[in-house]
Amino acid sequence: MDAVNTALFCLLVPLASAALILLFLRRAGGAAAALSTLAATAVAAAALDLAFSGARGHASWEWIRFGSFAISIGVRFDDLAALMLGIVGVVGLCVHVFSLGYMHEDPARPRYFGGLSIFMCSMIGIVLADNLFMMFMFWELVGFSSYFLISHWHERLSASDAAKKAFITNRVGDFGFMLGIILCYWKNGTVDLAELQAHAGAGHLVYSRAIPLLLFCGAVGKSAQLPLQVWLPDAMEGPTPVSALIHAATMVAAGIFMLCRIQVLMVPPALTVISWVGTLTAVYAALCAVTQRDIKKVLAYSTLSQLGYMVAAFGLGSSAAAMFHLTTHAFFKALLFLGSGAVIHACHHEQDIFRMGGLRTKIPVTFWTFTIGVAAIVGLPGLAGFFSKDAILVLAYGHSPAIFAVLALTAVLTAFYMLRLWKLVFLGAPRSEAAGHAHEGGITLTAPLLLLAALAVVGGYWAQVYPAGLRNVFAALPEAEGATHTIIFGTSLLVLILGAGSALAFYASGPEDTLETRAPAVFSFLTALRTSFDAAYDTYVAKVQQRVALALNFLDVIALGGGVIRGLCAGTVEMAGFWVRTLHTGRISTYVYWFLGGVAVLWAFAAGVL
Amino acid sequence: MESIAFVILSALTLACALGVVLGKNAVNGAMCMLLCLAGIAGLFVQLRAFLLAFVLILVYGGAVVMLFLFIVMLLDMQGGQPWRFRRAQVVGTLVSAALLICGLNLLTVRGRLPSPVPPAAGVGSSLSYYAYQLFTTYMLPTQVIGFLLLIAMLGVIVLSRRHRDPADS
Amino acid sequence: MTPSLNAYVILSAALFAIGFLGVLIRRNTLVIYMCLELMLGAATLALVAFSRFNGTEDGDIFVFFILTVAAAEVAVGLAIIVALFRLRQTIQVDELDSLKR
Repeated sequence: MDAVNTALFCLLVPLASAALILLFLRRAGGAAAALSTLAATAVAAAALDLAFSGARGHASWEWIRFGSFAISIGVRFDDLAALMLGIVGVVGLCVHVFSLGYMHEDPARPRYFGGLSIFMCSMIGIVLADNLFMMFMFWELVGFSSYFLISHWHERLSASDAAKKAFITNRVGDFGFMLGIILCYWKNGTVDLAELQAHAGAGHLVYSRAIPLLLFCGAVGKSAQLPLQVWLPDAMEGPTPVSALIHAATMVAAGIFMLCRIQVLMVPPALTVISWVGTLTAVYAALCAVTQRDIKKVLAYSTLSQLGYMVAAFGLGSSAAAMFHLTTHAFFKALLFLGSGAVIHACHHEQDIFRMGGLRTKIPVTFWTFTIGVAAIVGLPGLAGFFSKDAILVLAYGHSPAIFAVLALTAVLTAFYMLRLWKLVFLGAPRSEAAGHAHEGGITLTAPLLLLAALAVVGGYWAQVYPAGLRNVFAALPEAEGATHTIIFGTSLLVLILGAGSALAFYASGPEDTLETRAPAVFSFLTALRTSFDAAYDTYVAKVQQRVALALNFLDVIALGGGVIRGLCAGTVEMAGFWVRTLHTGRISTYVYWFLGGVAVLWAFAAGVL
Repeated sequence: MESIAFVILSALTLACALGVVLGKNAVNGAMCMLLCLAGIAGLFVQLRAFLLAFVLILVYGGAVVMLFLFIVMLLDMQGGQPWRFRRAQVVGTLVSAALLICGLNLLTVRGRLPSPVPPAAGVGSSLSYYAYQLFTTYMLPTQVIGFLLLIAMLGVIVLSRRHRDPADS
Repeated sequence: MTPSLNAYVILSAALFAIGFLGVLIRRNTLVIYMCLELMLGAATLALVAFSRFNGTEDGDIFVFFILTVAAAEVAVGLAIIVALFRLRQTIQVDELDSLKR
């Protein structure tokens, strides 16, 4: 099959799986799980085949037409799409296999696997989209899948609230996205990516600051940048494999992917804004992660921070660096999340890191793979994260010293909190009953970890390991030479040692947070930083939005509904009816009088008097 | 001569009509109606519709008013005000009367009714002429009237049945 | 001297008006009915007058029909009134107001 058909196969197989589960397998947990995993395997195989064979293609079909305006569905399978499809396929497969073991006793397994399949379909739709309308449709679908999966344990109020929060925050971002699409269509007459590229080449693309910034709003929502980052930590209410797939590796990366797709529309002022938003998000999230107790929340803030890195890289002008970091991040973050899932599973669903400890000996496979993940994210030289983070630092050094300094600080913090996490979870003595009795999960829990650990190790050597087609995506990666190279390398090492060393030295393996006990002011400041956004939104909703809503409600229900419609319109009719009813006296004489009146008027007409 | 007869007859007719309308007693009203019919019959004679005059007396006076009298005496309602006035109705009546009088006035002043044309000479009420017309030109209405009478008869029979209990049949 | 057509028409109109007045103001159903017959009589007078002054006799024949219809109508109407009396024990029209709103 050629590229377009294989791509469509990847799109439709998960959809078919979801449909079958919905229609027939609602009560058959095992069958649903098997079907969904089979679909994921097929997608992964097809994606890898496409990535390695280098087949590319482009096709488009018109879907709706209103006069001169048409929405089309199409597949744009170029190198970028191949890379993204590969990531989605591989990580998706690992998550599916992991879920087989992790969700084995869950009573709502069919619903879960159906949701995973829907998500795979929606995400692949974004990857393959060739125009912004189609991308928006699948964008919304991905948001729906996220909502569906976060609220998997919907009996918990916190889970359904988190799902609502995720959806609504995404919606706010999507509003900006939609405005951007409309503006782009209005100014350029098309939202097809190939046509926009052609316009740019021919020199008559309309550049404005509004279009890329509005489109970036979509990325702000989906990739959880400031100020819409509030949903991602709460989204950890969903099952851990969901967090790994959606909120670490793929969905949140969709924002970065979209930015790379619309790179042709970017203008320097917009890029500056984007880079600063990314940078600030990175440092803010890193600060918040330092005080977290829940293992998944630490990883969530870490994801936010790394997404900030990617957005900053894009803003600094290199989509190649952003995509590189996206790729390596997908591998090691999925590894970390699945590893944390294995830890949670081992400790019988305990998520507080201050009640873990000493798991190094109890669950060795998880320990070693998790360690590889931690090493990758903090940038140990040789592993994947080192290369991608280096590329971004080189970029920042070349463009803006301020951003470079902030990103370097963020790297210190990254090392700090990740090593804190690693130490408190795995080292020391067990701090609770459950941690004492931890044991390794089955093959379905460990195999994905091993695969992802391998990818985290080799993922950085793109020139050597990656297939030919994908190398083109990274061809424009900034390379440092000479003095710059030394400075960056030295900075990376310094950052690593500083962060890791201080974390290992500072944190004691005890049941309380050392920072809290030894430096309460810093601890409370960092905690306030974390809750500040939620508090601000709360105030806004309560004070501003509620009041506006109440005023509008008054206007609608009482003024319009009661006053005008029931009072004026219905009231007039009622009065008229009341008056007409008085004509029915039931007395014959009254009716005869009306006859007389009628006859007199008729005669008057006929005689010409009236 | 004819005009004097006309005046007397019309006075009689109108007076008796007022008697029907304003009389308190229903039986008195029926009597007045008879006299009124007599007046109209006289007017018919003056118009040289002799047969019609007699038919009027016979059918109307002899049958219809008799029937009325029977029923009045059967039902034998006594007492109560003969009429009553309501304010709104009085106003309505006055306005309608005014309009009617205007109309009548216009009719007399501007109407194009022919000035006195004497009735055609050879016209008389010959029975044979009526019969001939009834059974040729006006055949259809005659037959239909026959049906009408049949249906009226049936209707009266149905209407005046008492409702009996199914038990005692 | 024959009275003019105008005279007959005005007489007929006056008779009709008196009949109508009776229908309006009387409470006894039977008297109302009698006034209805008065109105019919007025109509027949006008019909005959017009036909005479047009030199024809067709108006007379029409009056035949009117008389027949009037007779049939009276028969049925009185039957209704008797049935009504049996039901409601009254024939005063202002007591027969079940159709009141």
